[in-house]
Amino acid sequence: MASTILPLELVDRCIGSPIWVLMKNEREFTGTLMGFDDYVNMVLKDVKEFAVTPEGITETDLGETLLNGNNIAMVRNESMLAVV
Amino acid sequence: MSSASPQPEEAAAPAGSPSEFLKNIVGKRVKVRIGSGVDYHGLLTCLDGYMNVALEETEEWANGRKTAEYGDCFLRGNNVLYISALEEL
Repeated sequence: MASTILPLELVDRCIGSPIWVLMKNEREFTGTLMGFDDYVNMVLKDVKEFAVTPEGITETDLGETLLNGNNIAMVRNESMLAVV
Repeated sequence: MSSASPQPEEAAAPAGSPSEFLKNIVGKRVKVRIGSGVDYHGLLTCLDGYMNVALEETEEWANGRKTAEYGDCFLRGNNVLYISALEEL
């Protein structure tokens, strides 16, 4: 029987890993997770922002970024994809 | 999880955390994007736990074009999508 794990603990395990953040709207971010707080505001570095526009998907490179947790819907750990 | 209260101050905050980031970024040039997708590039004068932001020498960029310039700019934190450093921290 698997031991219970708290959601914030799961996010904490992602610190240092590349992650993929999906927002509530048509926007996504990838980057390395440097840290977060109780509200899951996240500090990312080497960030790429992906926004869906009528013209297509626009990609923007950002430096070290504080992402407001208000609009975050989901977080994926990108390094786990290599396991499968 | 309420957006109405500011982030709590922690005695021993982890190095990469938001409060650390905010301490390091004051005085640097930043890009602040708000929910509508409009950007504000400027010198970060100060900010608070609500992500309210005060900028100097600000440029407003919408749809990839500069639309305005402001000497001083105040952004209410509830609108802020992200704060991104334009220079090395």
